[in-house]
Amino acid sequence: MKKKIGIINIGYGNIASVFNAIKFLGYDACLEKNPKNIFKYSHIILPGVGSFAQNSKLINKYGWNESLKEYAKSGLYLFGICVGMQLMFEDGSEGGEVNKGIGFFKGHCDKFITNNDLNLPHVGFNNVKHKNTKIWNDIPNDSPFYFVHSYRICSTSKVNIISETTYGEKFISFIENQNIFASQFHPEKSHNSGLKILKNFLSLN
Amino acid sequence: MLNKRIIFALLYCDGFFYLSRNFRLQKVGDIDWLINNFGFGDTCHFIDELVCILVKKKPTQEDKKKFLENIEKLRKKIFIPITIGGGISSIDDVENYFLNGADKILINSKIYDSELMFKTAELWGEQSISIMIDYQAINNNEDYNIFTESGTKSLMTLSNFKDNILPKIPYGELILNSIDKDGNGTGLDLEIMKNFNNKIKSPILLMGGAGKPEHILEGLKIKNVSGVLTANLFNFLGSGLEIARKKSIDNGISLANFEKSIRL
Repeated sequence: MKKKIGIINIGYGNIASVFNAIKFLGYDACLEKNPKNIFKYSHIILPGVGSFAQNSKLINKYGWNESLKEYAKSGLYLFGICVGMQLMFEDGSEGGEVNKGIGFFKGHCDKFITNNDLNLPHVGFNNVKHKNTKIWNDIPNDSPFYFVHSYRICSTSKVNIISETTYGEKFISFIENQNIFASQFHPEKSHNSGLKILKNFLSLN
Repeated sequence: MLNKRIIFALLYCDGFFYLSRNFRLQKVGDIDWLINNFGFGDTCHFIDELVCILVKKKPTQEDKKKFLENIEKLRKKIFIPITIGGGISSIDDVENYFLNGADKILINSKIYDSELMFKTAELWGEQSISIMIDYQAINNNEDYNIFTESGTKSLMTLSNFKDNILPKIPYGELILNSIDKDGNGTGLDLEIMKNFNNKIKSPILLMGGAGKPEHILEGLKIKNVSGVLTANLFNFLGSGLEIARKKSIDNGISLANFEKSIRL
């Protein structure tokens, strides 16, 4: 039987691309609006285009915060993309005020520190130097992935960091802890390298 | 390090894709032609992003729906960033474009609508807004007029826009599209960059006039240019974009090297 993959739909963000990518890879994808249905899926993707503030408010309002914590505890597989990754940390300052994240990882989401040579947002393909964990199987080191963001994760903890990328400074571009994975870049927008990461994730049993 | 970008723009109206020359449109082919004859899927291995623009003047909701349906056919097999624009008249249109595959939306006529701009930034973030400025030189290139409404309406000059509008609106990147150079294939307007110093903190991209690979390289060589767009379906038919990409990399431009050999 085909695995069923849930894509969290909180109304903001380009979830259609993630949906198409999963279908393209041969899996059943379902856009899920109800946190109570989360255990129907062996793999959940938390996508994100949008602001940290808006997404943070919505995951709290609809009860995703608690259900995702339960889901993570169960050992089932979870993948956050872009703002979806940022939400997995303690808090974020986008939108002028500090809003709480889910808190799977230690760290904060703040704006890049700008100087004369640095344009914001950080947009385009940047290279990712990664450790060789299972999810990076068959992906060459330093492959380009698509980023579009002005806020990034600052963390003093090096625990669980799989890759860092440089844009004026080093920031966390991929993190994982057992069954939880997250990328600041968009794998669904990063040609074959990105699709391969998604495929490696969906293949986890 | 962050790479520069080569971007392809598709111009759409009433079921067909178009070439544009000085903002006059010439019909080329429909979506099936684009996929089957143009080989669009292969082309996408050599571009960093795709921009899709509805170029119809005053499009109805039905026009926008058909436009999005056409993009949907492309999106199913293409996994690169897509910017969608043209015909945006309300925040509902913005939402609809995002729900139908836009990673960024392209704003031209609504740049003066600060309510729409700020609402979009609040909900989707500043990084999701690409501003496209259609401009034409005046007074022997001393200044430029900024146009909206498919190049038909001009409310201000570039210097006025830069001083009074740009610092006050949220956006993620700026696409400078030369009406004089549009579709003529004689090279990008590189001079325009003299008007943009380091005070502009967002990426700037050039469009209009790229007719051969060298033109793309010329644009990318400029330090403050983050990317180059072309909408020239004919000049970059077949291997044109692959050559442009290789030529740029060979000349020291930092561009992403997409690994095609990865097996899925």
